[in-house]
Amino acid sequence: MRELLNTLMQDARVWQGHRHTQTTQPAEPTGYQVLDNQLGGLGWPRGALSECLLDAPGIGELHLLLPLMQRVCAEGRTVFWLNPPHTPYAPALAREGVNLDQVVLIHTDDEGDFLWTLENCLRSPVTGLMMAWPGKLASREVRRLQLAAEAGSNVCVLFRERRYAGQNSPAALRLELEPDEQQALKVNVLKRRGSWPGQRCSLAMAQRADLSFRETTRVVRGPWSGSTG
Amino acid sequence: MLWLYLHFPHLVLDHIRRTRENQGALVIVEGSGQKVIQACPEAMSQGIRSGMRLKTAISLAPDLGIVRADETQEARILEDQARWLYRYAAHIVLVPPDGLLAEIGSLQKLYGGLPAVWQTVEQGLNERQLNAWIGIGYTPLAARLIARAGKGECTADKGHILRSLSQMPLLAAEFDEKACTRLQRLGLNTLGEVFDLPSGELARRLSPELLAYIQKIQGTRPDPRTPWQPPHSFRQQADFVQEIEHTQGLLFPLQRMLAELEEDLCWRQQDTDSLRLVLKHRHSEPTRLQIRTSGPEHRADNFLNLIRLRLEQHSLSSPVISMVLLVKRFLSREAPAGQDLLGETRDLNEAWHTLISRLQARLGDQALRQLSPQADHRPERAWSASEVLRKTGAPLIPAAELPRRPLWLLKGPQPLTEAPVTWFSGPERISGGWWDGQRVHRDYYIAQLNSGQLAWVFRDAREGWFVHGWFG
Repeated sequence: MRELLNTLMQDARVWQGHRHTQTTQPAEPTGYQVLDNQLGGLGWPRGALSECLLDAPGIGELHLLLPLMQRVCAEGRTVFWLNPPHTPYAPALAREGVNLDQVVLIHTDDEGDFLWTLENCLRSPVTGLMMAWPGKLASREVRRLQLAAEAGSNVCVLFRERRYAGQNSPAALRLELEPDEQQALKVNVLKRRGSWPGQRCSLAMAQRADLSFRETTRVVRGPWSGSTG
Repeated sequence: MLWLYLHFPHLVLDHIRRTRENQGALVIVEGSGQKVIQACPEAMSQGIRSGMRLKTAISLAPDLGIVRADETQEARILEDQARWLYRYAAHIVLVPPDGLLAEIGSLQKLYGGLPAVWQTVEQGLNERQLNAWIGIGYTPLAARLIARAGKGECTADKGHILRSLSQMPLLAAEFDEKACTRLQRLGLNTLGEVFDLPSGELARRLSPELLAYIQKIQGTRPDPRTPWQPPHSFRQQADFVQEIEHTQGLLFPLQRMLAELEEDLCWRQQDTDSLRLVLKHRHSEPTRLQIRTSGPEHRADNFLNLIRLRLEQHSLSSPVISMVLLVKRFLSREAPAGQDLLGETRDLNEAWHTLISRLQARLGDQALRQLSPQADHRPERAWSASEVLRKTGAPLIPAAELPRRPLWLLKGPQPLTEAPVTWFSGPERISGGWWDGQRVHRDYYIAQLNSGQLAWVFRDAREGWFVHGWFG
């Protein structure tokens, strides 16, 4: 058996994981060095879908995209928010240096409109970043979106629930997001194109509420907080 | 002054025929619906003649398209023709029901001779598939008589024009009936013979009005005409013989109307960003559609794409009998400035407008929003959403002096159902709104919940705890 393998190896007929060549797909750096390293030094793929799978908002998922958002707005391209679950808060975005003139919020009523809008935005050269919160997507529809994304060259991030992690998806990058200790964000790479998945890292996100983890709480305790605090 | 007269022998017929895809036999009947007044070539080939009774016509051609003549409609169609003619000539007079008069003496130099003027007008007629008889004369009436007799020639020679006028039979000279019979009883047969009569005798024996009319033809008596002024809006109407039941059927006539609009806008050197489309139904209220583009636009293709999207969303409630395209808002055309060497900024700008217009056409204007911060202490009023506009100003400087706020704001405060695990900062007291009755009196904290979410929670004056935002 071993001899057989050796001959096959010598003929170079077997693809070997450890020798794979670095892919050079177009990508945008995430702005987090730790994450970029885990993603093979690339970042968010351009002209392909990315998925962020998370359970609940408020764990730093927007801050994960904030460096890209700032960069895209500064370049004069548009950031679309399609069907966000809550209102993106304008004063907070302005404080982070996002040019609000380049931010467009879209609400669609039904699924047909959602897919149509996403496809149209993805095909346009105007779009820099597309953030979408689909309700339920069949994998056939994800495939359709992936094709639309390939037609353009912009970053498209779908935010979906974590229970879809088991479902297969044609997205080029799939990240599972979980809250970590000290308000950090744990990123688990479920899939990335051209390489092995399974990388894990934790990104410090405490700065999103002006907290540094060494500091103890700054709550001024008064007589009123006894009941609930 | 040299006048050009356009006589449209069957204007309504032409107008309706060019909005039809299939050219079946078509006739125009008089108001009472008894007699055929105009018949198209297809109808003619089946033996239908003008003046025929409608019943006879229908028995000759069972699938005949019938349109009833309507005075207001005729006047409107005539004005449509004046509108395009105005591009070539400044001084235009409407001669209802079927004539247009244009002063062309002053245009000869501009176009380089009378034949060029004639050719331009003929080309305009051909483009619009209109049949018209052209006549030229030194007075409005002379031009009219020549055109209506079908004897128009491209010449400015006075003698020649006078000769063709003189040879005209009395019946073609449009005298009133009484005067015509009296002249005939005098033994006169052509207009030239009337011209030869001494004017004093003519006034005494016949009537002063007849003399005035003849002098107006000859040009010895002034015949002032009020020039027509084009309206400051664009209007095109398509009338259908058969009611249209599917939106697809509207696209063909729309194509022509939009091409006309593009030409009109190019000629005005203006753009527009809103079109109004009115679909008229036989029994119900007309459907009004407002089509908006996100930026100035003049190209017919782009308008057509937007309208197609819009029509796909709205199925017709009832069949359409006519369609009106209205444009009242004109914007001055932007000079292609601020363009780099490769013209990239312009392309991107255009792509932006195309995309936003498309999205708005399908999703509605309200579906697209842009955010901006507002100067208010109350979190729910510190932002506003507005319509999407392309702003090319300098980007805002990051306002670091703004207080720390979460990136997600809930649509309304949600009751806090669990005790937070950790408290981080607070309280930040926000109290205001006494000036407009929307009183807010809250202490805000940043806290982490069991699920790991960082929340912006507050306690109001009634000791209730609420989540108002997530630090996403």
